[in-house]
Amino acid sequence: MIKIVKRDQPSKAIFFFTPVLAIFLTLIAGGIIFYILGFKPFEALKFFFIVPIADKYGFSELLLKATPLCLIAIGLSFCFKSNNWNIGAEGQLTFGAIVSGGVALLFYDQEGFYILPMVILAGAIGGMIYASIPAILKTYFNTNEILVSLMLVYVSKLILDYLVVGPWSNPEGFNFPETRQFSDSARLPLLFEGLRIHAGIFLALAAVVISWFVFYKTYLGFQMKVSGFSLKTAKYAGYKGKKMIILVFLISGACAGLAGVGEITGPIGQLHREVSPDYGFTAIIVAFLGRLHPVGIIFASLVVAITYLGAETAQIFMQIPKYTGQVFQGMILFFLLASDYLLFFKFKFIGTKK
Amino acid sequence: MNTNLKISNVTKIYPGCVANDDVSLEFNSGKIYALLGENGAGKSTLVKILSGVVIPDEGKIYLNKNILKLNSPSDAKKNDIGMVFQHFNLFETLSVFENLIIDSDEQRENLKEKIDTIMKKYNFSVDLDVPVLNLSAGQKQKVEIIRCLIRSPKVLIMDEPTSVLTEQETSELFLSLKKFSEEGILIIYITHKLKEVMQLCDEVAVMRRGKLVSVSQINNENIESLANKMVGQDLKKIKKKKENTSSEQLIKITNLNFTSEDPFETNLVDINFSLNRGECLGIAGISGNGQSELFQVLSGEIISNKNSIEFNKNFIGDLNPQERREYLMAFSPEDRLEQAAIPQMAIFENVALNNFKSSNFFNNGLINESKIKEHSKKIISEFNVNTDNIDLKSQFLSGGNLQKLIIGRELITSPDLLICFNPTWGLDVGAINYIHETLIKINEQNKSIILISTDTDELLKLSDKISVIHRGKLSKIMNAEDVTSEKLGILMGGGN
Repeated sequence: MIKIVKRDQPSKAIFFFTPVLAIFLTLIAGGIIFYILGFKPFEALKFFFIVPIADKYGFSELLLKATPLCLIAIGLSFCFKSNNWNIGAEGQLTFGAIVSGGVALLFYDQEGFYILPMVILAGAIGGMIYASIPAILKTYFNTNEILVSLMLVYVSKLILDYLVVGPWSNPEGFNFPETRQFSDSARLPLLFEGLRIHAGIFLALAAVVISWFVFYKTYLGFQMKVSGFSLKTAKYAGYKGKKMIILVFLISGACAGLAGVGEITGPIGQLHREVSPDYGFTAIIVAFLGRLHPVGIIFASLVVAITYLGAETAQIFMQIPKYTGQVFQGMILFFLLASDYLLFFKFKFIGTKK
Repeated sequence: MNTNLKISNVTKIYPGCVANDDVSLEFNSGKIYALLGENGAGKSTLVKILSGVVIPDEGKIYLNKNILKLNSPSDAKKNDIGMVFQHFNLFETLSVFENLIIDSDEQRENLKEKIDTIMKKYNFSVDLDVPVLNLSAGQKQKVEIIRCLIRSPKVLIMDEPTSVLTEQETSELFLSLKKFSEEGILIIYITHKLKEVMQLCDEVAVMRRGKLVSVSQINNENIESLANKMVGQDLKKIKKKKENTSSEQLIKITNLNFTSEDPFETNLVDINFSLNRGECLGIAGISGNGQSELFQVLSGEIISNKNSIEFNKNFIGDLNPQERREYLMAFSPEDRLEQAAIPQMAIFENVALNNFKSSNFFNNGLINESKIKEHSKKIISEFNVNTDNIDLKSQFLSGGNLQKLIIGRELITSPDLLICFNPTWGLDVGAINYIHETLIKINEQNKSIILISTDTDELLKLSDKISVIHRGKLSKIMNAEDVTSEKLGILMGGGN
């Protein structure tokens, strides 16, 4: 007989093993789905997960997609670790892109070293402003941050839509819904000739290091952690719990805003309708798959980035709909949550009684 | 007619804990049975099984020799088992009458008649038309009891019914229960209060760690014998030594007021008291009369007027808890798991919550982990916390050990004043004893305590002075020797 027994203490090994297990189960389930759809499972999985990154260009694309995912997930980890459910990173990304794009457009016909820093800073500030809305409403009016942050995503997308078809649209652009091209000084430099990977990756890596240091080594990080678990405890310890909540939202908004900067000033170089293929939502999966730990998030962002690339390759070579990418992302989260059960319970094989 | 309820070999296993281990018991009407045990002994699980809330893994229940299938609470009702839970299941905004008829499909008029008869018969006086939220705890309980009686139950189970009642309400309840018993209703009374068992019950079954340890006639038992059975070890008796306390004033509260915006909180009205070094001031009261607000005002979670609190000749009313700690105050809140500690964090991280400047837990904004760990080890050994792993998440500590850790964390900085709120709530007798000894010890070291507690016995045992809080007002401060639990009961109920 198999019995399910509660673990005395969640095992550290299992803590990092379950994400791997989740990915493995996703591959199996994905194979089954491909089989049912009438594709050869191994071939489909190969096109999905191996072909896209088999060459230099593919690898650069992988890093390109992983950069915003990693950056946003790092920001989100601050929120999630302190029990603030900011699921509106997509909106913060979009708003950050709008503000930084606005600054870049101001200088569209100028060159100068000072433009890029201003554009980057504007993106971070834009994300922070947008994240501060759910934060302030939560702390001072007891609203639910999940609803507010989520609904603001659609608001930001509509604002962007309005701007690119209306006041900011390119006067010489034949009414295409996009702005002028930014000047070269407002663009994040490409790292290699012919590849699209750009300097935004350094922003992501810096975020990884800084977040690790702040959260695990500083008093500020400690206070954020405590405030997240229990505002009552924070109050009792004498911390300013409400400020901590706002702070984690600001950090996460800044990261999402920077991801937005990367998207528009990197490969695209202008604002248009769709600045992000839902990176802000997918980064939620990345954050959890990476166990909210900076290093884990790096790996998780790479794994999830493959699903973006794989979906495209599979569509081109096998006519599998691109949306299977989202199916895979969903499955990863599903299996991760399911295998988390193993964190707290274990199976015990025992002989039958009597 | 006689009712016979039999529990036969009931076992219920939860992940990681055997809540009921092969429990067999038999009850007959005409007697009042006590089911006695510490928190976590398995009483509640057994009761939940009897009321259909929990389905046992093994074992059977018989009522008058017929097997009972209890798969849901409504099955229990159908089989004439009535249950009054520790926490009331009433709709606060509905009237008493509406609450009584809500789960019945009989005609309104019939029910009205039935309710009137019941109220007359047992001398209950509750206004049927007022909303439940206007009732006192004792009256609410009567509503729950009437709701059971409407169904003319054969068995009535009471789960820790007196935890929210005053002494007077308790004795009224006992009279009613005795009457029900004479009428032939089988009564099972769940409690961990030994005195009540002695007063009320005819037979007592003691549970410990999921097992039934004894069933005996009450005449063959006394409080000590029951306590030993309940705990499984002989208890030391502790008594506070009366010494001449110093006359140096430590803290003085002057005209302290607190008006809350939250309708579920209690306003504090003109609180005035003072306390000398080496004294323990007990503050009694029924829960919900402003204790939590008083604790927060004293700890600095709620900031008040600067001059309203004078501590060690400093005015500190406008300081937050961290700043007050620097003046040598320490605090142990009521809610261990939601306020005093964070269960998901390691023991040493919980220790760092009391960030006393000179302990150097944080230098230049950085965490000094080795310092915190060293400090934690000291607390664990000095305060008998039963673990040697300070990386353990504190949720894996038992209630008693967690409370020792919290008290230790607060006391290791040797504060002049400890303010604690229900420090032994929900703990087993062994841990309660330890905490009490610790509190007495710090009084002997000429340090003061403000003890806010809903446990009258605890207050009488530890306090030098006692005051009662009722609806946010403090009664005059009395010497503990002149106070009896009856007198406290009257004051707690708002009398004079």
